Amino acid sequence: MVVLREGMCPGLDENIVRDLRAANITTVEDLVASDTEELAQKCSLSYMALLAIRRVLLAQHTAFPVSGADLYEELLSSTAIVSTSVPSLDKLLDSGLYTGEITELSGGPGTGKSQVCFAAAVHTAHQLKQSVIYIDTTGGLSASRLLQMLQVQTDHVEEQMEALQRIRVFRVFDIFSLLGCLHTIRCGGLQQASLGGGSVKAVIVDSVSAIISPTLGGKQNEGMSLMMQVAGALKTIAKDFNVAVLVTNHVKRGAGGELQAGLGLSWSHVPRTRLLLERSKSPGPLLGSTRTATLVKSSRQPCHIKAEFDLNWVSGPEEGLLGRKRARDSSDS
Amino acid sequence: MTETGAQLFARLEARRCLIDIEPNLFPKDCGPQYGEVVELHGLEGTGKTELLYHLLCRCILPVEAGGMGVEVVFVDTDYSLDMLRLVTILENRLTAGRSTSRPEESYAECSEEAVLRSCLSRLLVVHCGSSSQLLLTLHYLETSLSSRPSLSLLLIDSISAFYWLDRCGGGESVARQEDKLTKCSEFLARLLRDYRITVFATSHAIKRNYKNVATSSWSSSSSCSEYEQPYLCRPWQRLVTHRLLCSRGTAGANMAATACTEKQSRRQVFTVCCNSFSSSSSSKEIKAHKNSSFYVTDGGVVFV
Repeated sequence: MVVLREGMCPGLDENIVRDLRAANITTVEDLVASDTEELAQKCSLSYMALLAIRRVLLAQHTAFPVSGADLYEELLSSTAIVSTSVPSLDKLLDSGLYTGEITELSGGPGTGKSQVCFAAAVHTAHQLKQSVIYIDTTGGLSASRLLQMLQVQTDHVEEQMEALQRIRVFRVFDIFSLLGCLHTIRCGGLQQASLGGGSVKAVIVDSVSAIISPTLGGKQNEGMSLMMQVAGALKTIAKDFNVAVLVTNHVKRGAGGELQAGLGLSWSHVPRTRLLLERSKSPGPLLGSTRTATLVKSSRQPCHIKAEFDLNWVSGPEEGLLGRKRARDSSDS
Repeated sequence: MTETGAQLFARLEARRCLIDIEPNLFPKDCGPQYGEVVELHGLEGTGKTELLYHLLCRCILPVEAGGMGVEVVFVDTDYSLDMLRLVTILENRLTAGRSTSRPEESYAECSEEAVLRSCLSRLLVVHCGSSSQLLLTLHYLETSLSSRPSLSLLLIDSISAFYWLDRCGGGESVARQEDKLTKCSEFLARLLRDYRITVFATSHAIKRNYKNVATSSWSSSSSCSEYEQPYLCRPWQRLVTHRLLCSRGTAGANMAATACTEKQSRRQVFTVCCNSFSSSSSSKEIKAHKNSSFYVTDGGVVFV
């Protein structure tokens, strides 16, 4: 809803706004939807002037149609794939996190969601030399853990520090600060964050459910509305700035006892790609550190493929056992 | 507003009727006519988007490659259009069309890239971020519609995207909550009448009908009927003439009978239930009904 004000466009002066208001036209939508000819008569305004104002306002507030060919061209030149640095996960995701879309990791506590986020952040900052925005909503991000991961990759303290510089951390603990934070990112915060060198290639929200789930519940709409606002903000950031967005979510048991991503039906439509992380049922020699990832939503790969990965891999390739990583095709439905 | 005879002609005559867009999907002789609205409704992961891409490809592909060669506007309110996926499907269809068509046909001579580009240029994409922007954009699209006579399909993915935002923005009054979508529907009705386009829109199943859960526990399809209740505003419901309910089929059940390879029988099968309503606005009666199922490959939707 855009309220009509004087000076919004050439020709829309104080008198016209007043006359329109008298005719019950207060917003741009009202003006656009009304019959210009009738309105001109009712307010005794010039038909041509009103038509010109309508045209300018419409052009200002509409979304412009883009030809599919141009869009494809643009996409080919701008799409990047950000590796998660975990080979088996990359394989599931068809080589990594795509820019311009939202990828979700859902899983119960201790299934390695945050560790994968850390690894992706470190990889982007160190290997790709690009900036990362890390929105931490649980207080679970520890700089020493990031440093530990970096130390595995490089011995140079300077390189480690440079990489850490590229990870910009925001700590927000309620939905309003999150919306505020996303708003600043949209209005220039992204460029600011990229001053450390390289452009921002990834925005990570760990975890999105920790912030949203307290607002849901009961028969009220406000929480749903706030959740969709967060979803909208993340989608526009992903699209407009062409960054990969990675969010984490909790899980719940469905009616049949199967694991489902949390936050309900409305949220389920939001991420383009979703991975479900679980503890592996048969722990190998590295007891308890293997996790199973299942691709539950994707437009590129067949769903329900599984892969195993080792949380120790996340800390450094030396500790993880490459041979243990196998992607196996299976359909569990 | 006055228009010349030529404009009137362009407005009414040149548009392609989409009645035969997908015979597998719609009941016999009940495909989407001029000025009709098709709603695709379903939960997450029930193949709505794939189905939409399938229909989109069918429209923008040239006639020689089994398409219809018409222009399409894609209103993307969910920011969900995956161009790379769409191009993959298009490429697959083009290659398939090329291998079956005779070499002397016109498009076989041009390079694949050029054909793809010409397909994509028949697609217009609009991203909308709010329901008022959607309304303004529909107004703006009127000029595109009047200047491009081959534009015959409007896709909205999804019409329910701003449901919660509007619900909260409207305060206590239901009329104000539904105000935006009502206005959009009313304007859409005018576009449908004046320009005789066809509209396809997806709506996400985001509301659970708890009343149905209790009564339908005896039926095997309870998980589906829980969510299929329409919840969008009345003016929109009145527009809809075909409702496609998408759901995930039981994997492999009907594939096993057709003796496919093991890989095929393991494929996820999606089922679509199409209900066509008689267009009388006073009472909605199901005129025809058809069930179909499909599975998804690299090259898009394949009906079984």
